[in-house]
Amino acid sequence: MSQVEKRAGLLRRTSSSKKPLKEKVVLMYDEIFKEDPAKNNPRFWDELFLMKVNLEYLESKLESVDGEEVQRIQDNINSLFHHCVQALGEEHQIKVVNALQTLCALFRGVHQKNKSASGFDIINMLMGFDKAEQRMKDLMERLDSLLCGDGSESLKSLCLKLLLCLVTVTDNISQNTILEYVMINSIFEAILQILSDVSSRGQHGYDAVVLLALLVNYRKYESVNPYIVKLSIVDDEPTLDGMGMVVHQALTEYNRQYKDKEEENQGGFFSTLTSMVGSMFIADADEKLSVQTNEAILLALYEAVHLNRNFITVLAQVHVYFSLLWFYLCVCCTVMNNPELPLDPNLQTSNLLITFLKYASIVMQDTKDEHRLNSARLCLIILTCIAEDQYADAFLHDDNMNFRVNLHRMPMRHRKKAVDKNIPSRPLVCAVLDLMVEFIVTHMMKDFPMDLYLRCVQIIHKLLCYQKKCRIRLHYTWRELWSALINLLKFLLSNETTLLAKHNIFHLALLVVNLFNMFITYGDTFLPTSNSYDELYYEIVRMHQVFDNLYCMVLRVSTNTGQWKEAASKVTHALVNVRAIINHFNPKIESYAAVNHISQLSEEQVLEVVRSNYDTLTLKLQDGLDQFERYSEQPKEAAFFKELVRSISLNVRKNVSLNTLSQDVLLKEFSTIS
Amino acid sequence: MMEDTDPDLSPSPSDQNSSSPSLSVCSSPSLSLPSTPSSSSCPAPGPAPSGTPPLGVISEGPGELSLVIDAEVAQRACQEVLQKVRGGGQPALSVTIVKPAQIQIREVEDDPGSVKSARRRQRHNPSKQSWLLRLFESKLFDVSMAISYLHNSKEPGVQAYIGNRLFSFPHDDVDFYLPQLLNMYIHMDEDVGDAIKPYVVHRCRQSISFSLQCAWLLGAYSSDMHISTQRHSRGTKLRKLILSDELKPAGARARRDPLALTPFCPAVSGSGEHGLSPSKRTHQRSKSDATVSISLSSNLKRTASNPKVESSQDEDSSSSSDSLEFETGPPVRLAPQREFIKSLMGIGKRLATLPTKEQKTQRLISELSLLNHKLPARVWLPTAAFDHHVVRVPHTQAVVLNSKDKAPYLIYVEVLECENFETSSVPIRIPENRIRSTRSVENLPDCGMTAEQRAGSFSTVPNYDNDDEAWSVDDIGELQVELPELHTNSCDNISQFSVDSITSLESKEPVFIAAGDIRRRLSEQLAQTPTTFKRDPEDPSAVALKEPWEEKVRRIREGSPYGHLPNWRLLSVIVKCGDDLRQELLAFQVLQQLQSIWEQERVPLWIKPYKILVLSADSGMIEPVVNAVSLHQVKKHSQLSLLDYFLQEHGSPTTEAFLSAQRNFVQSCAGYSLICYLLQVKDRHNGNILLDAEGHIIHIDFGFILSSSPKNLGFETSAFKLTTEFVDVMGGPDGDMFNYYKMLMLQGLIAARKHMDRVLQIVEIMQQGSQLPCFHGSSTMRGLKERFHMSLTEEQLQLLVDQLVDGSMRSLTTKLYDGFQYLTNGIM
Repeated sequence: MSQVEKRAGLLRRTSSSKKPLKEKVVLMYDEIFKEDPAKNNPRFWDELFLMKVNLEYLESKLESVDGEEVQRIQDNINSLFHHCVQALGEEHQIKVVNALQTLCALFRGVHQKNKSASGFDIINMLMGFDKAEQRMKDLMERLDSLLCGDGSESLKSLCLKLLLCLVTVTDNISQNTILEYVMINSIFEAILQILSDVSSRGQHGYDAVVLLALLVNYRKYESVNPYIVKLSIVDDEPTLDGMGMVVHQALTEYNRQYKDKEEENQGGFFSTLTSMVGSMFIADADEKLSVQTNEAILLALYEAVHLNRNFITVLAQVHVYFSLLWFYLCVCCTVMNNPELPLDPNLQTSNLLITFLKYASIVMQDTKDEHRLNSARLCLIILTCIAEDQYADAFLHDDNMNFRVNLHRMPMRHRKKAVDKNIPSRPLVCAVLDLMVEFIVTHMMKDFPMDLYLRCVQIIHKLLCYQKKCRIRLHYTWRELWSALINLLKFLLSNETTLLAKHNIFHLALLVVNLFNMFITYGDTFLPTSNSYDELYYEIVRMHQVFDNLYCMVLRVSTNTGQWKEAASKVTHALVNVRAIINHFNPKIESYAAVNHISQLSEEQVLEVVRSNYDTLTLKLQDGLDQFERYSEQPKEAAFFKELVRSISLNVRKNVSLNTLSQDVLLKEFSTIS
Repeated sequence: MMEDTDPDLSPSPSDQNSSSPSLSVCSSPSLSLPSTPSSSSCPAPGPAPSGTPPLGVISEGPGELSLVIDAEVAQRACQEVLQKVRGGGQPALSVTIVKPAQIQIREVEDDPGSVKSARRRQRHNPSKQSWLLRLFESKLFDVSMAISYLHNSKEPGVQAYIGNRLFSFPHDDVDFYLPQLLNMYIHMDEDVGDAIKPYVVHRCRQSISFSLQCAWLLGAYSSDMHISTQRHSRGTKLRKLILSDELKPAGARARRDPLALTPFCPAVSGSGEHGLSPSKRTHQRSKSDATVSISLSSNLKRTASNPKVESSQDEDSSSSSDSLEFETGPPVRLAPQREFIKSLMGIGKRLATLPTKEQKTQRLISELSLLNHKLPARVWLPTAAFDHHVVRVPHTQAVVLNSKDKAPYLIYVEVLECENFETSSVPIRIPENRIRSTRSVENLPDCGMTAEQRAGSFSTVPNYDNDDEAWSVDDIGELQVELPELHTNSCDNISQFSVDSITSLESKEPVFIAAGDIRRRLSEQLAQTPTTFKRDPEDPSAVALKEPWEEKVRRIREGSPYGHLPNWRLLSVIVKCGDDLRQELLAFQVLQQLQSIWEQERVPLWIKPYKILVLSADSGMIEPVVNAVSLHQVKKHSQLSLLDYFLQEHGSPTTEAFLSAQRNFVQSCAGYSLICYLLQVKDRHNGNILLDAEGHIIHIDFGFILSSSPKNLGFETSAFKLTTEFVDVMGGPDGDMFNYYKMLMLQGLIAARKHMDRVLQIVEIMQQGSQLPCFHGSSTMRGLKERFHMSLTEEQLQLLVDQLVDGSMRSLTTKLYDGFQYLTNGIM
């Protein structure tokens, strides 16, 4: 990102009001860069923080300082930093505000200047090595007390902005050495406090959650990050709930925006046409932006789900938008005769998981864009974590917790847009499976998202394992899943050559075939009806050509020597039962047709043949069908998360710089107070 | 002491005085009042042995005078009354004699109309005079009799005696008659109220749950009064007194009492001796008590800038909680439970506004999950039989019940049994997701061999005992240990099978399985899953109720973070909002009375009274009958006739299981047929008749009994519901079981007739001041009495039973009514 552009952005607001005369504060800044300012004016620092900060100037000044000058003015900058930190403790709130903003500028300016410099140089320039530890300790303590105190909300907000600014000054968060001090002097408790309180959550929850998500990702894989440790043991329900609420609200907002846009576009044939044409030219910057901002929230959700087992309960926590008056609270006050709150009978109860699933269904629709691809991947990773958690599985499968989940489905040529209204109310796992099926059906394209497919199939596998072990007979239309999986195999076969150039398609094929093996060998433990087992066989027999072709293909590859030999031979072994079924029933069906002189058997007739011929079929029990590899972030996903955090950092930095600095309102607030 | 009094001593003088109208004696309070416990201690410390703690309290605080009484004092007071009666108080004696006479008449003639004349006749019979005394003192004198005398006697002396005598009965026995006691307190004259009040107040002091019970019942039974009188009625006042939490355990109160100085005592107690009823007195005093203490303390301080603040500070030093309740509204002692009940009712009200069952269910679940955040607390389910604290409501298990416009719902409640819910400490909260910590270990013994084999095959049983548990990521694999198989014994091959996939890793030989086996196991398992009903969003309760209770308990226990605790119990309750349960309560009492009568007479009739908690005139809670679904649900979901359903559930007609189910069915049918006949229970459609897992039928919903019936064109004219389907289950109209059924009915009726009074009394007292539809008209009691057919010989009774059964069987209207219900309410 070019500095010019950025500065232009920063200057935009004030450029119009630029005066020929230099402001006093600018003069004072200039002084700092010349000599020890306090030498001539002992009250210099007091006065400085009474001035309205000119961030742009200070930042550009810092950036423009060249190598030798740095050495010369380092003491002055150290001193500025020192006085900023001290000013945070002032009672005069204007001073606090100005000090916070000055610190922002300091961090940013110094980093801008020294992009290539090591973190230690930066620390030295800002605080001086010998004093750095003490300075940062003071800073973090001041920030902590500001965040936890009952001071102004805008002040708190500014503190969070400063922290966000500090956390995102480098592109790669792990290279931000200053954060080492943030690790030592934890502000985790302050963040939690913000999240646990209803009113502060509403105002600062988003920033707090994003900050937490970023801090957790600091040197995640290299060292012990105290934020990871602390986040993983939080068990305070209100706090976790608060965190869930923030994520829930952000995702809900996104879903709502998307829906509005969608409805806008559905005005009629003409409008769809125009919007289609229009969208070819106008990159929808706004929408992209909202997707990006949600990556940070999604990351927060991931970290919470992945690290904190207690957070899983929050997923299912139903949000009803009213508060129960309750006896603990009202013992000492007279809330007893609260009037009953008005109720909207059409209010659909929702929970974080439902909102997340809806969000995922939107994001997954289009994975061409890098950000959306990342979001989709992260969604699938979160779902993987959820599918592995036993408590989450328990409520996903809870027969008593039925919900209608309106997933977004991509409009496609060959199918009509599903009528939303008639979705039955079902256990949540049905929605997860629907989402997976939907993904499988809609992403068979040249630029094949192999990674997403693998995750998708694994999620299904994990859910099946749970059902098998707990003997949960889910009333789900498994047929849709079967046919989606068979179509996927078909796609892999027909695009074998192009796909093989980039991916190991045999691994995916193996997973898919093993899903069928799960149904074939363990169907008795989780299928809902005996008919569904017959239908499974029907579906396999009906689509036998796909399996035959697959077998031919993998056999061919496995007999040749090549890099895929091993992988392909695994698939051949996995196919043994499917082939046994096909080879067993096909002749039976043919002879049935011949005997009864029917050219085309009806489904019912085939099922009849299937039912009467089970007994002569022997299957081989395969090993480890109900075993799966547990999700682990390291080492497989580390690269992905590094990149993701980098892009989130950039994004947050951009947003912070745009929003933070317009603190006119804030200043007004304090000037009236004081 | 009482035994050696000679009954012959007293009667003779009474004869001379009997000419003077006994009424005049009744009206003179001075003579009758000394019997009240308050006066027993007040006029003279002499008779009361000094040093007994209750008396000490009494003399210390004037507020306690009439309130703190224990059995000992009461006993003494009783003796005193009797002494008076026996000794000098001749007019009083003449009055008491009247009573046994009355009883005599009732036993002989059973004609309430002639009682008065009979009384006149009997009054001159000296030999009867001591009967009352003897009776009161005898071991046979039980609560039932006490209540009956309290109700029928017009004599303050007798009433006061019984009021005192109440203290000597076991609490449980009196509790059964609590609705009667309170209804008498509300609706009968002052003397009865005065006699009852000390007992009630005493018990309220002792127990929070009794306090609340009283408050609820008082509220409910006062509601029929006219609004203007209601506000000032005794019942309302007592209710307020209870809810204001003035009635603390005496010990706690005594500490504060010294503040109220003695100068006020004589005035108050003096006025109490004459004229003023104790109830009025105590109430006024409890008020004045507070003000007195306040003004006094402020005087003492002499800085009376703000007396109220002053006083509260002052009291803070003695007991902080006491001071709170003066200023702020809700008293602390009763608050949690009241709020708990209130929020349950609030949920019911809000549910009623939602249009569909599905929305109701979702809302219910979400509201209950919020409720969970506030648990555990010192709250309990009043329908339970043991002391406990509610720790969690498994919200996902709650169901909305079938009802057209109201929204009754059924919740399950996890509780921890405790010694005493008032004193035991409230359990600490365990977060929802801590379920897994100890469960796996816990379940091992339950799973028996299979579990061990399994555990063996996995070789590692995760050990969660340490705090690391929060750290370890959960593994689906653990489930294998945790999950006790539902059908381990019946289908071993399956459970072994699911282990196979792992064990086969070790033995490298290929394992072959037959596809046919898998398919067979699937259908077997499906058939075995004890016939669950299919989930129906419009009838969510059917599935929940069909699940066997033990299984539900096990399932919920497994999913509960508290499940590992040894004192964990599961309870369930139906919350009804917008329904008047007072009739239900009456029916429950009658049922329970009949049940104990039949038990006493060793007649094997089976009925199941289910507990009712009346919270107000339009809300309450019901203890659900476990393991039972309605006949409507049976028919709708199984699509079978009742007999076929029995065959499906219990096996073929010759099996032991079927025969015992059939016997249960017959015994319960007989019981409920009699109940339906005696109480004239109407609205007997299949939705109101349950069938439990053992084959018993259970009638629910006693909304139309005695004089009330649904306005439905005069359907249901038969005595009780006996469809051909029922008869089919009994083996047809010529079968042995059907004869057994009729025989049981006859025996049951004879037994009930023998103890008719015990039944009548319950109903009669509740009729006082009641606007309930079941008491509509003037002939309710007479009708009820007539249905016991006192005048018939046993042969005639047998004929009557035959007639009733035949009539009900042939009754077209029953069929018509079912059809009518099907058309209007969709009930099959």
